[in-house]
Amino acid sequence: MAESHLTGSGPIYRRFRLLLLPYAAGIVLLVVFPAAVSFALAFFHYDGLSPPRWAGMLNFILAYTDELFALSVQNSLALIILPVPMRVLGAFLVARLMLRGGRLLPWLRASIFLPTVLPGAAYALAWLWIFNPRFGPLNVALAAVGLDAPAWLVDPLWAKPALVLMSLWQIGEGFLVSLAALQDLPAELEDAARIDGAGPRALFFTVTLPLLAPILILLLFRDAILTFQESFTRILLTTEGGPYYATYTLPLFIHEQAFDLLSFGVASAALWVLYALTGLIVLSLYVIARQWNVGTTDETFVL
Amino acid sequence: MKRSSFSTPLRPALGLLRLVVALAFLLPLLWMLAASLYPPGVPLPATLRLLPQEPTLRNFARAHELLPLGRYSANSLLVVTLAVPLSLITASWAGLGMALLPRPRQRRWVIISLAVLMVPGVALWSTRFLIYRFLGWYGTVWALIAPAWMGSSPFFVLMFYRAFRRIPAAVYEAAILDGAGVLQLWARVAMPLARATTLAVALLTFALYWGDFISPLLYLNDDRSFTLPVALKLAEQMTRADWSLLMAVAVWAALPPVAFFLLLQPYFARRQPR
Repeated sequence: MAESHLTGSGPIYRRFRLLLLPYAAGIVLLVVFPAAVSFALAFFHYDGLSPPRWAGMLNFILAYTDELFALSVQNSLALIILPVPMRVLGAFLVARLMLRGGRLLPWLRASIFLPTVLPGAAYALAWLWIFNPRFGPLNVALAAVGLDAPAWLVDPLWAKPALVLMSLWQIGEGFLVSLAALQDLPAELEDAARIDGAGPRALFFTVTLPLLAPILILLLFRDAILTFQESFTRILLTTEGGPYYATYTLPLFIHEQAFDLLSFGVASAALWVLYALTGLIVLSLYVIARQWNVGTTDETFVL
Repeated sequence: MKRSSFSTPLRPALGLLRLVVALAFLLPLLWMLAASLYPPGVPLPATLRLLPQEPTLRNFARAHELLPLGRYSANSLLVVTLAVPLSLITASWAGLGMALLPRPRQRRWVIISLAVLMVPGVALWSTRFLIYRFLGWYGTVWALIAPAWMGSSPFFVLMFYRAFRRIPAAVYEAAILDGAGVLQLWARVAMPLARATTLAVALLTFALYWGDFISPLLYLNDDRSFTLPVALKLAEQMTRADWSLLMAVAVWAALPPVAFFLLLQPYFARRQPR
């Protein structure tokens, strides 16, 4: 295996580290610093204009006793727990399906990826039309096969499933990563298993899936985090949190607190839920990286 | 070296399945496009037929009368023109810098990158807003392209890292022995050997900035500097129930990244899987 691991040392080798400078500075200035500030802002009254005043635990009490906050956390979790595994598994299965094929294969792969390059807002509007209860193509099609179609985004019961459904088409990133991982699997492994008499199913469950487990777990984490944010665009353009707060999620609560009510302190206190979640994910990530040697060998490449 | 883990009688069925799945992924886009081609003024008929009998482009002209789409498109174009090249430079620098580190440090940077990838954007909205205002970037294009200074996403950095790590060390060593400096190594050795990755990252970066709805919503205050995604929100509020008009605006905003993708597609297709 070719390894681009330089063995030399000296000033020229040290200068290569300068290449990492903008990236490192960006991480500190645009991620670590803002996160730390908002972590601390939870203890202050701050409206973005007058200087911050100490608030103690008041912001936490204000946020955590707000019924809308509790509801937004529930809704956010509901929009993550079921759809995220569906999206990652779906992306992986489609990648497995599109691993080999005839001359059309590049174009078939392209059509899987195409919905993902669409601007999130345009994509959301397309689904607003598709889900239209009376004229939308989905319900027209359902009616044609004799099914009683729901009102989707305007029905409090169906709004969440509708949001989940529309999120299933934008899985391009997971598809690409799974495809690259599948292509990188050493062919010898599958051959050896086949010689040992493993059928396609046994091969998939005993060789392919365990080898790709770290990648799939990374994708699950990443998708859970991404869903928080991407669902914001979709929700703002389709339901705006309704009907009857059925799709009112944590990002909507935070957006409202910070940018409508200018209570940056309460918004930050609400964010602590997110920081706890992120901390948990990063910790598990570290454990996974240690255990599976992610990023150190060429066989288990990263992303 | 064609091989298949499926037995031969299954092959045609699999081919059909691939086709059906691919078409299913295209269906929402086709529905959106078809709705935009219906004649304006009449409610869309509730039929299964995909295309109207007389497709028309009149909705696109109406969309431009409704909203200053030209201005918004120009703003979006300015954002991607600044952000995509800048982001490609910083992401590839970081990827190369990582690939040239000793092994244990490479791993440390991979873990840092993955950790940053897991930070939810929502957690940064309000403080980035305060920082941009402090720097005087609030309301300007700089607030929209700020992440380009760090390669936009650790995902792109890791893509470059992966590509650069596949280049044998001997190639880098030889260039260094020939007296290549840091930037020469990047421009003359590394980048030409990672052309496919560069194109893929360019496309993803373009789609990221072109479709960014949240940054202009949070960090812009003047509707003359809005980009297309925010215009879509305005259009939605202005065109209730005029579906063919609304879909025309959506198609207009979706066209550039789709065109970019389809233009690059033959190039990706030529890449042979290992």
